[in-house]
Amino acid sequence: MVLHAILPTKIRGLDPGDIGDVYSAMVAAQCFECLYQYHYLKRPYQLVPQLAESMPEVSEDGLTYTIKIRRRVYFADDDCFAGGKGRELKASDFVFAWKRIADIKYFSKNWWIFDSRIVGLDEFREYTKTCKRREDVDYSRPVEGLQTPDDYTLVIKLKKPWPQIVYLLAHQPTAPIAKEAADYYGKDIISHPVGTGPFKLKVWHRGSYIKMVRNSNFRGEFYPTEGEKGDLEQGFLTDAGKRLPMADRIFFVLIEEDQPRWLQFLRGKLDATSIPKDNFGQAIDASRDLSPEMKKRNIHLKTFRNPDTFWIGFNMEDEVVGKNKPLRKAISHSIDREKYIEVFWNNRDDVAYGFIPPVMKVYNPEISKLGIGYDSGQAKQLVKEAERVYGGKLPTLKLSTGGTDTLSRQMCQFYQRSFKEVGLDVEVDYMDWPTFLEKVKTKSVQMFALGWIADYPDTENFLQLFYSRNASPGTNNFNYSNPEFDRIYEQVAVMPDCPERTVLYRKAELIVIEDCPAAFINHRVAYVLHHDWVLNYKPHVFQYGLAKYRRVDVTKRAAYKELLKKSR
Amino acid sequence: MTTYIIRRLSYTIPIVFGVLLLTFILFNIVGGDISAELAGKAAAKETIEEIRKERGFDKPLFLAWDSQFVNHFKNALTFDFGRALDRESVIDKIKRGVGPSLALMAPMFFGVLLISVSLSLVIAFVRGTIWDVLAVVVCVTGMSLPYLSFILFGQYFLAYKWRLFPIFFWPDLSTAEYVALPVLIGIVAGLGTNVRFYRTVMLDEMRSDYVRTAFAKGLSTRQVLFKHVLKNAMIPIITRVILSIPFLFLGSLLLERFFGIPGLGYLMIEAIGSRDYFVINAMTYISAILFVIFNVITDICYALVDPRVSLE
Repeated sequence: MVLHAILPTKIRGLDPGDIGDVYSAMVAAQCFECLYQYHYLKRPYQLVPQLAESMPEVSEDGLTYTIKIRRRVYFADDDCFAGGKGRELKASDFVFAWKRIADIKYFSKNWWIFDSRIVGLDEFREYTKTCKRREDVDYSRPVEGLQTPDDYTLVIKLKKPWPQIVYLLAHQPTAPIAKEAADYYGKDIISHPVGTGPFKLKVWHRGSYIKMVRNSNFRGEFYPTEGEKGDLEQGFLTDAGKRLPMADRIFFVLIEEDQPRWLQFLRGKLDATSIPKDNFGQAIDASRDLSPEMKKRNIHLKTFRNPDTFWIGFNMEDEVVGKNKPLRKAISHSIDREKYIEVFWNNRDDVAYGFIPPVMKVYNPEISKLGIGYDSGQAKQLVKEAERVYGGKLPTLKLSTGGTDTLSRQMCQFYQRSFKEVGLDVEVDYMDWPTFLEKVKTKSVQMFALGWIADYPDTENFLQLFYSRNASPGTNNFNYSNPEFDRIYEQVAVMPDCPERTVLYRKAELIVIEDCPAAFINHRVAYVLHHDWVLNYKPHVFQYGLAKYRRVDVTKRAAYKELLKKSR
Repeated sequence: MTTYIIRRLSYTIPIVFGVLLLTFILFNIVGGDISAELAGKAAAKETIEEIRKERGFDKPLFLAWDSQFVNHFKNALTFDFGRALDRESVIDKIKRGVGPSLALMAPMFFGVLLISVSLSLVIAFVRGTIWDVLAVVVCVTGMSLPYLSFILFGQYFLAYKWRLFPIFFWPDLSTAEYVALPVLIGIVAGLGTNVRFYRTVMLDEMRSDYVRTAFAKGLSTRQVLFKHVLKNAMIPIITRVILSIPFLFLGSLLLERFFGIPGLGYLMIEAIGSRDYFVINAMTYISAILFVIFNVITDICYALVDPRVSLE
């Protein structure tokens, strides 16, 4: 049984500690596991143990996490181990992986996870700065906050309470790494994933395809026996209790262009695909349902909200936009978001009135009344007020974007026209992505088009974008600072999930909306098509290693081929 | 001839230097620092600094023995292109891409050459007739159509609708199977320009006195065309053909991307998109060297086909 999946962009590498892009994470997640994972079926998203035996024991002060590791979990067989046989996972493999992320010589993209969190880990990082070469770093150097009293117990000591840690322990970069693999493959470990996951890499023809096969050492894991309401009726519990993975192999093929991807899907070569913009009308009818052509082919549609928000950000340190709230609000009011979504996203997305996306548990259902929406009349009034604040006619503003392709140009032309309609002149600075990023990080832009995709289902991940201590080159690219917001952030960041925290999250969002460091535009809604032969296809926006749950009905796959033959 | 070859090869030095200087200026001075991108979306300043140090971006640009440009030059001369942004060895990437690119480009190149030279001979022979006019109209139309439209049309109709070819690369396909359609598209798309060019070359020859003399002597059309006209038209043909060879190694960007052929064209455009200066530098440098070498070969071939050409 083979799964045929698609990669719409090249992946960068399969070393969890260095993974920073979605598609690399998607592939690597088939080979690596973390301490925790999200329940495949339950919503809202819920964590369950993966390599851990149970959820962590947390000390009363919230500073010490004790985690028991499952026994008899083995790494996949690989040449890096003695005799090529994968050895048993130990708690020290987590410590090694996390020290590696802290090691400055390793240049991990994921140090933000542990930065200033674990007792002694920042000191370990400081120590690595004193080492001349990567090879000089001594990984046996103890870190007080990462202890392994025995091979199956991991004790984490925190500097201050950090309730979000459990989500990060389900985040791909925190997967355990065998030191043998890191030593054996060196820099080439990016092409040699050695994990405990359900699959292992067979072939990686870079820039073309990836083949994965079942990991014969995979521990016993079973398909969930419980789900959310409606799962039973939709057939998501048909395989309840069955051993995972269901498929024998996964075949990922890289297809970057829309036309071949779409045609290969229709030909039945791919199990599932997103819908290319130009084929949306062919796949989806006016009532947002599948078109008759797709139904005839027994194709299924899955729609789901992504945990993201896209915006036009303002550099609050800029002399013109940063010191002129009416101007920022005028810009925000001038954008017809519904039109924008209709033109560029086939009417799929949600309008963003604030920064918390609807998929998050604390999403404020009243936000459309409280946030800033399209109102050109009010925008024009605000422009007049902005001119009074500025002390004369406003200069030409500059919007920076990290794309020079046609779509980026069309989007910015849309914005330009919106601004022009309310009396604002804006020129667009198109640049390549790295240049754009550098300019944003060095506070050299006035306005910028950007967004954020949540790493875990806690809204704290969005709030930290506005925390003053995270100003550029940190994640607060707006360089926004509001003492009241900071106070709330510091309070909620250490709070466990409770109704009081939800109130505070919403209050913080309203503070940001009032100060308007960004014009929030849209939250993406994904439309995915899959053939009827792929079973258990339930989308999940935080968990990447989903192939283990998927099953292929080979009879239906063969029937589709027959259907195509008849239709010739 | 040896002196000539040595002299011509010595021209390589300033050309290669110029190429290296240009790529260096374009990506190091005009473009921004890529360290922030390498460090990830929530990178610490110190990580960015460390990456700058490791990649040598913290060194002076020009005026030092250890400057970025000197290192750039040194690495190029020793073919040590380092690791790409994804940490894979650049030379491994290039080695892997040569085969697929050649599998696509070589048959395409020879196909276009053979068909366009043959067609142009025939068209030159029927010059002034309705067939000649028709051929020119078809050629100009072919030249005016965007390359992409040939690809989209070919992939949709020939592969998807009529199922004559595979739509895209698939591992169980042989190389011949998955390059067949892109080669065909490449040949058809390339014919317009090439037939027009060779037709002009052939027509120049057909108007020559020796052709009239040959016909007057009673030689057959085939003898005149293939023995006399083609031989005398070899100089422009050689120039075009040999100077095209370096491009065979560079592959075809659009065809490779649309048909999933992991060649060098694909690699190059990816590198430009992600500003992978290490790959771009290597590819540009290798192309420049190939171009200079094939220029010399072109000159040598002139002397071989035309005794009037002297290399001294």
